[in-house]
Amino acid sequence: MNYLILGITRGSMYALIALGYTLVYGVLQLINFAHSEVFMSGAFGSYAIVHLLVGDGKATPSWAVPFILIAGILSGAITAAVIAWLLERVAYRPLRRRGAPKLAFLISAIGASFFLSQLAGKLFGRLTSNSFPEFFDQNAVIFRPFGAEVRVLQIVIVASAVLMMIFLDRLVSVTKLGRSIRAISEDAPTAALMGIDIDKTISRTFIIGGLLGGAAGFLFGLNFSFGNTMGFIPGVKAFAAAVLGGIGNIRGAMIGGLLLGIVENLVPLVNIDTKWTDVVAFVVLVLVLMFRPTGILGERLGRAA
Amino acid sequence: MRTSSLAKVAVIGVAGVMALSACSNDSGGNNSSNNNLTQQPAGSGSNANSNKTYKIGWQGPLSGDNQQLGINEYNGTKLAVEQANAKGDLGFKIVLVESDDVGTADKAPAAAAKLLQDPAILGVVGPAFSGPTSATGKTYAAANMGLISGSATNATLTSSGFTTFHRVVPTDGTEGTQAAEWLAKKFKKVFVVDDTSTYGKGVADVVRKTLASKGTNVISQGVAANTQDYGAIAQRVTQSGADALFYGGYDAQAALFAKALAATGYKGLKMTGNGGKSSVFTSGAGAAGNGWYFSCGCQDATTAPEAKDFAAAYEKMFNTPPSTYSPECFDAANGMIEALKAAVQKTNGNPTRKDVADAINALDYKGITTQVKFAPNGEVANATVNLYQQKDGKIVMLGKIQDQS
Repeated sequence: MNYLILGITRGSMYALIALGYTLVYGVLQLINFAHSEVFMSGAFGSYAIVHLLVGDGKATPSWAVPFILIAGILSGAITAAVIAWLLERVAYRPLRRRGAPKLAFLISAIGASFFLSQLAGKLFGRLTSNSFPEFFDQNAVIFRPFGAEVRVLQIVIVASAVLMMIFLDRLVSVTKLGRSIRAISEDAPTAALMGIDIDKTISRTFIIGGLLGGAAGFLFGLNFSFGNTMGFIPGVKAFAAAVLGGIGNIRGAMIGGLLLGIVENLVPLVNIDTKWTDVVAFVVLVLVLMFRPTGILGERLGRAA
Repeated sequence: MRTSSLAKVAVIGVAGVMALSACSNDSGGNNSSNNNLTQQPAGSGSNANSNKTYKIGWQGPLSGDNQQLGINEYNGTKLAVEQANAKGDLGFKIVLVESDDVGTADKAPAAAAKLLQDPAILGVVGPAFSGPTSATGKTYAAANMGLISGSATNATLTSSGFTTFHRVVPTDGTEGTQAAEWLAKKFKKVFVVDDTSTYGKGVADVVRKTLASKGTNVISQGVAANTQDYGAIAQRVTQSGADALFYGGYDAQAALFAKALAATGYKGLKMTGNGGKSSVFTSGAGAAGNGWYFSCGCQDATTAPEAKDFAAAYEKMFNTPPSTYSPECFDAANGMIEALKAAVQKTNGNPTRKDVADAINALDYKGITTQVKFAPNGEVANATVNLYQQKDGKIVMLGKIQDQS
């Protein structure tokens, strides 16, 4: 049971990041490989604010904790959204204007990814295990379903992830912006003919992806640690999660993320050495794709959301 | 038109990435040593060699995950060189050239090439880590470049044909054996985790073997060194009911592991080897690191009486007390300087790399951590392993591990 809880915690973070991949893929049919660095920037942005608010965290009164958590999520989300917006402006829009082939976007994304991670290393140092000040007792056990232990931090992570996902789901299915996103992912030229401002919508899609990724960056940093190279592995995993659920499919990304997180954490149960965790996770990915080549829920933003 | 603009973007992107990675290589390093060549006034000695300058290299991580250990070591080396230059009785000046290998085997050949291509460099203090040493030992040996490492502790390094490799610290084999003997005295069931690196797996394997031979029940697991989430493995350790845990790996990762173990409420004894003992661990793990034990073939420079002067000089120069492997590298560097001095005298001021390497083999110099004297295979002649523990955020030495109950 404990493993399942760990899995859900990690999975919900994967899901938040995976949404960024899937949203961008939905509107651009392009994998935004720099998204892992958007996620990383969220951790740094929120650290700046949280550190400013609580110092070393020892003297934080308990009533302030929820507000600091919210401030952390918001600051992480906003930093990352700004980075994502800039990224779209600098690395993608010029290419799109000139009708560059898909491969050029990929190279541009990889370049931007290197740039951002090295920039963060240069500015903030290259330690990989920076940690947030401990401003509340993260490990206090809240309740014990079936003998497992559920901790404060795990609840914070899962609850905020679920809230954001519900919010996103509503945003995409009922608002005007959501309709534009879906329209573009169905058929971009037609959507443009119908009066949808493609550039604006794409830009906003990046911002939404950045918001979610940055929030995940804060949660991830709070739970584990953060550093300028932290983005790569969660990035790859979240990308895999997005593919697992059906790339371009929002609910698919959520399910894929959760599933991947759970599978990874169940490895110890079947008595496989922990060093094979990644192998097991990707074997599951391959197996799923063999039987459902378009992922669990299938492709396309428009159809399922 | 379309292809040309595309090409432009690609070229700019690639160039940008390369420029950045190039910058990052010297970001961690302190380049002041390079200035000595031109800015130092002529030596105070009056013999014929007084204006001569010889170079020694230093290889280790000055950036990346393990830069703290590298900086400790580089500073120890630098202090030795500056003290020797300041004394002025060498009859020549020494210039220290640093080369950053990020502590990883894949960056090491380039770092070694940087030192090898400068013919004025006659010996190298380092490489700091085991992985980079096994990646470059052959190249250095082929160039007759003498090496004295203050911390590369993988047991196989001295039996791999790296003929010019020496180290002033005991091997992971020695350390792991003694650590395991200590654990076996107290515990019947020990969980051993390694980070799958050359160093981490090396030391963990020795611990496993020794424990098993003492009849202790051993549970083995590996966790890749780039893991960020230690939740699952920590859970596994806790549920296994093991009395003690040994982690073979480096400080940054050990700190994450310590936090995850604290989160799952693991109550047993926690221990790691020399790679985990550093300020990166104490600051990264915070309160979760209290109570952790460390085995290390190293001296505590802040308390060992032999190292008092060294610690004071170090703190004066770098505004921070010496940390793990600073004193060992200070010894390695002083050994290298002694060897250089001997080679200069023997050859009348024109030593080759081979002369220096030969002089290293003949060294018998009293350092602050050990007698710098090597067996024919490059191992230090007598080796001590000490036991340390983190208390209230500070790592303190408990004494020789063999004397501990």
